Amino acid sequence: MRTSSRFLCATLLCGSALTLAGCNDGSGDPNAEIGPNPPLPALQQYLLPPMHIAKIVGWKHGETPKVPQGLKIEPLATGLQHPRSLYTLPNGDVLVVESKAPKAASIKRPKEIAMNYIESWATSGGKAGKSNRITLLHDSNGDGVPDKQSVFLDHLNSPFGVALVGNDLYVANTDAIVKYPYHDGDTKITAPGETLTPLPGGPIDHHWTKSLTASPDGKLLYVGVGSNSNITENGIEAEHNRADILEVDRATGRYRIFASGLRNPNGLTFEPQSHALWTVVNERDEIGPDLVPDYMTSVKDGAFYGWPYSYYGQNVDPRVRPQRPDLVAKAIPPDYALSSHVAPLGLAFYTGTNLPEQYRGGAFVGEHGSWNRQVLNGYKVIFVPFSNGKPNGKAQDVVTGFLDSNNQARGRPVGLAIGKAGGLLIADDVGNTVWRVTSSGTGPSPAARL
Amino acid sequence: MTFDENSARPLSTAQIARHPIHPMLVPIPIVCFIGALVTDIVYAVTAEMMWADFSAWFLLVGFIFGVLAAIAGLVDFLSNRQIRAQAPAWPHLLGNLAVLILAFFNNLIHTRDAWTSVVPVGLILSIVTVLILPITGWLGWSMVYRHGVGVVR
Repeated sequence: MRTSSRFLCATLLCGSALTLAGCNDGSGDPNAEIGPNPPLPALQQYLLPPMHIAKIVGWKHGETPKVPQGLKIEPLATGLQHPRSLYTLPNGDVLVVESKAPKAASIKRPKEIAMNYIESWATSGGKAGKSNRITLLHDSNGDGVPDKQSVFLDHLNSPFGVALVGNDLYVANTDAIVKYPYHDGDTKITAPGETLTPLPGGPIDHHWTKSLTASPDGKLLYVGVGSNSNITENGIEAEHNRADILEVDRATGRYRIFASGLRNPNGLTFEPQSHALWTVVNERDEIGPDLVPDYMTSVKDGAFYGWPYSYYGQNVDPRVRPQRPDLVAKAIPPDYALSSHVAPLGLAFYTGTNLPEQYRGGAFVGEHGSWNRQVLNGYKVIFVPFSNGKPNGKAQDVVTGFLDSNNQARGRPVGLAIGKAGGLLIADDVGNTVWRVTSSGTGPSPAARL
Repeated sequence: MTFDENSARPLSTAQIARHPIHPMLVPIPIVCFIGALVTDIVYAVTAEMMWADFSAWFLLVGFIFGVLAAIAGLVDFLSNRQIRAQAPAWPHLLGNLAVLILAFFNNLIHTRDAWTSVVPVGLILSIVTVLILPITGWLGWSMVYRHGVGVVR
């Protein structure tokens, strides 16, 4: 049991008898740090931080993730190449953004050699086949199974976010937002894209996923730009316009920093009731198994959320020099902690009616899963109930079973979307599958299931 | 086994054409650990990550070649009673073992991200390492220049 865990432990931790970190990383209950104002343990620094990545084994025929009673789950599309995010078009067609990381920058120090090796265990990377494209899923006969799975847009540069405003389809590549013409029913875009604005990309491009959404009035775009390091170890100059949400004028492409200090913001979405912008954020690593909780938060115009100088409000990170007490004084805590190292990458508010009443108006979060703690955390899709536009209550596990009984990963959830008929759609990047969760009861007719 | 009856000088076992390997390798860790101290100090003064990156490379290369030098030295030490009998031999071995242990942990400290990869623990380990080097170096040079270890004629 837990072969990969023991192997990692033995090689990385116990191999040096005097190492400060033992095989038990001393973590507490990960569920204790879900919700507003999570308890924050004292910061630790390591000779070797606790590391445990679930080995990828993939889905065997017929295996699926697990859902609670009242729901059912089935594959909507399989055989994809590292699907990372999803977008539902107005006619119900689903765009699957298949993407792989940009080419790595040159190695700056020996640690990166080791980290690249360890990370290679945790991803299929889309290396096997073509990726960096968008695949369209079209269900013409309404039987719930897309009968057309075709390449919609190809030769992209590590794309992630998609947003449609009118007939303008925006794709957030890792280095630019590119605009394409789209008309209802189009199944392929051949027109060349037009760059709306460049975004911070290579050569380092540490956090490369650029999440994208449009304002409700369609005038502005919001794009998440992750930091270029864990905690400024690539130099502060590499962080220009990063760890920010940028607000882009759709007419001119000019942008400004809408909010800052968000280490790796993804899942940008407007909450349907309050019309506030929400995001899920991956916080910093290597200061303990229970630090720092990743979070979801409404994003306030002009707000600073701490990175890199402080976390969860004004808890100063000693690893950053020069320190900036002036900025720390301005840092505000986020709204709702999701527990440490869960790696939230997808966020979708449930606006449909297919799923049971309890899910309506709340938020689903796709948690890609941890590496920086011994006890795995995340590797599931959770649900956070909302009322009056704010989280109200404890998060619940909704889609689990991405890990098998040996803690090996059959899949890892990333981006989420709500299908036109109300199913929850989940991109599974190492399972190379898009999953659909629907109500198992007497739901809508099959014709409306996508 | 490689005691030369005519010269009465203890000869090296780990050697290439009667050139002992150990003294060929030891300059590399010495230079690297001194270099790491210098770049640690510059990083502590400037907070410019490039210098901390240099330190990490210095420490890794210094440790690898330090281990290789230690293997060559141990072969000489273990295979020749005459070498073990030299007064500086044991202190030289133990002192340089301490250097390698310190460098091992200093390598790990330098895998941390940003400031605390150097300040304060990494910098302290670099200082202590470099303070030991002249002592163990002196002892090593004594064995060669005064006692003629590995000297052919």
